[in-house]
Amino acid sequence: MTLQINFDATWQDEFQNRIDNDGPWGNWDLFKLTIEVENQTVIPAFDGLQVDKHLSNLTPLPHQLEVAEQVVENMNGKAILADEVGLGKTIEAGLILKEYMIRGLVKKALILVPASLVSQWAIELNSKFFIPAVAQKKSYVWEQCDVVVSSIDTAKREPHRSLVFEQNYDLIIIDEAHKLKNNKTKNYEFVQSLKKKFCLLLTATPIQNRISEIFNLVSLLKPGHLGTETAFYEKYKKNARSLDDDEGLKELVNKVMIRNRRQDTGIEWTKRHVETVPIHFSKEERALYDAISSIHREGNWMTDSQFSLMTLQREACSSREAVFYTLRNMLKKQEQPSVAFQQKIEELIGLVENIQQNAKAQKALEIIQQINDKVIIFTEYRATQLFLQWFLKQHNITSVPFRGGFKRGKKDWMRELFQNHAQVLIATEAGGEGINLQFCSHIINFDLPWNPMRLEQRIGRIHRLGQKNDVHIYNFATKDTVEEHVLKLLYEKIHLFEKVIGELDDILTKLQFGNINDHLVDIFGHSASEGEMRIKMDNLTSMIEFAESVKEEDQHAAT
Amino acid sequence: MQQHEIHHFLLRYFHANQCKILENKPGYLVIQLTVELDKELMNRPFYWHYLEKTGGVAKPMELTLITNPSLAPDDIKGEVIHFGSPRLHQIFQSTKNLAGYIRLYENYEAPPGTQTALRPWLGLNLRISYQCDRKKDLFKSIGLHLINGQMVEQFHDKLLHLSLTPKIPDFSFTLSPFIKPNSGVMRVANFLQSEIEKEDHTWADEARIRWQKDLQLLERFYEDADEKGESFENEMAALQEQYEPQVHISIVNGGLFYLTDEAIS
Repeated sequence: MTLQINFDATWQDEFQNRIDNDGPWGNWDLFKLTIEVENQTVIPAFDGLQVDKHLSNLTPLPHQLEVAEQVVENMNGKAILADEVGLGKTIEAGLILKEYMIRGLVKKALILVPASLVSQWAIELNSKFFIPAVAQKKSYVWEQCDVVVSSIDTAKREPHRSLVFEQNYDLIIIDEAHKLKNNKTKNYEFVQSLKKKFCLLLTATPIQNRISEIFNLVSLLKPGHLGTETAFYEKYKKNARSLDDDEGLKELVNKVMIRNRRQDTGIEWTKRHVETVPIHFSKEERALYDAISSIHREGNWMTDSQFSLMTLQREACSSREAVFYTLRNMLKKQEQPSVAFQQKIEELIGLVENIQQNAKAQKALEIIQQINDKVIIFTEYRATQLFLQWFLKQHNITSVPFRGGFKRGKKDWMRELFQNHAQVLIATEAGGEGINLQFCSHIINFDLPWNPMRLEQRIGRIHRLGQKNDVHIYNFATKDTVEEHVLKLLYEKIHLFEKVIGELDDILTKLQFGNINDHLVDIFGHSASEGEMRIKMDNLTSMIEFAESVKEEDQHAAT
Repeated sequence: MQQHEIHHFLLRYFHANQCKILENKPGYLVIQLTVELDKELMNRPFYWHYLEKTGGVAKPMELTLITNPSLAPDDIKGEVIHFGSPRLHQIFQSTKNLAGYIRLYENYEAPPGTQTALRPWLGLNLRISYQCDRKKDLFKSIGLHLINGQMVEQFHDKLLHLSLTPKIPDFSFTLSPFIKPNSGVMRVANFLQSEIEKEDHTWADEARIRWQKDLQLLERFYEDADEKGESFENEMAALQEQYEPQVHISIVNGGLFYLTDEAIS
């Protein structure tokens, strides 16, 4: 086949000009220097990385350089980077981007990240990689800047959308790509319609629940790599949870995905100290909790909203404010609430109003005063967050709030405030993702998420590369409540806490018998008695233990 | 490029541009920029615009470049220069811009009373890039005798042994070229093209195989769809950009060289 050879004629035109005008002619010394520069910057081989010669502010770790080399040399520049949280996926992506820029294969790059990370990405690319990345703030940025960092939510909206499509991007990087696991969403459709010459998808959790997620991710990157949608689901169960079930599929996925685990990297990590802090309800708090739980067992009261009743129980473990907020909403939602319903709610609100003290908040205060250093408090509830802010202020402790809904600038500002001025950052779940706070080494889990992956995301904010101290995690669990049950099950019986996310993955994907969350709803929502609850929980535990033992056998067999 | 090489390079760059070197110590340099170089490097068009409007006295900046932080004194404030720093690459680019075109004469000391004939050569330094989803480059320097059409490789290295001057030396005269300089450029281009065609193209074949594979996957992915639609076209175009093997030839710099018969052997 004939090879296309292009000759750049731009030099020539100007040459004729200079001859006709008898100059101006360049200086011989500079002419010679140019050739020396040329000999320094020419890259004589397809193989190998150039990027390490260009970095003076950064010493990449061996596993990061390996990833970069692998992506460029064997994966043709299209890959899912799925290292565990905290191993430096950003660095890996930066290395690849820089390598391509040095070689002249990438000029324009688009980096789509969660809004809270936009500035951080731009700063890191500039300071560590000397890549002139610009955070998209004005619409002219799309056309005038070569490397743009933006959130998907901004980019997919007009007037940005059309401008984005007009650009010819050589490389597209998408951070937190697990958010694109559902191919029916607008974000998915947007990313799908972008032209992807080279593309990197970054995620710490490529599969959270089912393998359909990996199908969607891979098809975004390399359509057809896993076949068509129908053929794929004929072959593999849509709801299967693990790649390990099928060697062929695993191999196929590994062609486009790289996943390093902490133990593979040979890096010494600072330790994690996990402490469960038992909380004892005050008499009034107990009364509220019991009242909610008893409705729960009456059964005929809003039968279809088991989940919201359990939500109420969990909220009662968090703060009276959280309960009050939900109760008020429940009442508002009903157009014509029955008298009984109204009475019940009012009764509960009465109990809420009886509560004078928050046992957890008292404990948190005690711990924060003791630590006398920066602390992050995570809570699932907005109302609790607001209460805690007020509460800490009463005790002269400076705090800043953080949540997913904040605009990018506000997030940066809050992070900055926390780093330089405040002792405590109070974050809600959505705020857990995507900010790096390794200057802090204490976390209080004021209430616990039921999905262990989310917990790992929380801890990953501080227990990552760059953390210099041992990390302390305090888990609050109220005695004799759902919270204690969950903690026992998830975090003590299986010691999930001590584990890092990779091992956790393995265990969870082994759970072929259903979604953990579904089981929990069933156990805590549908059990008629404490006894039934305990039995179901024991069953769940033994199934998990069984899954673990299978895994261990696998490992023995392999070694 | 080692740090001391960078130091040396910077010195020569600023010398060649008539800048005064205020300090040249181990690990750092202080340079008084000329107006031209300030405009070239410091990116402050508003200042220069303002000066032009008001007719004030131009004050080009002093530039402190630290080439080795461990050797430079701690109290020196300046830009740290290393191989990846944007400033160095700006200077690389500027070197190239300032010396893209040249005309030189050989400074040959002829015996008294004789006249020396200087023959026209076209000298071109080129970069050849082989590109698919990977890329590598090759540097070539080619000289073309503009009277007899003789072509010489490694032309630049040969020039380095000669004494060259921008003004025609006394008692020398130039012969007129038969080949027009621009058709000379085309001759060189055609020569390179035929050379490249003769090379081993395994890299390109392999890239085409990768391309083909991904194309097949793509077609399989869309085989169920009645209307393949825009996204299919889009993906097709992306694959072409990703893999299509191409060779790019570009001229780094070049010009006219008037040399004695003996100069190039």
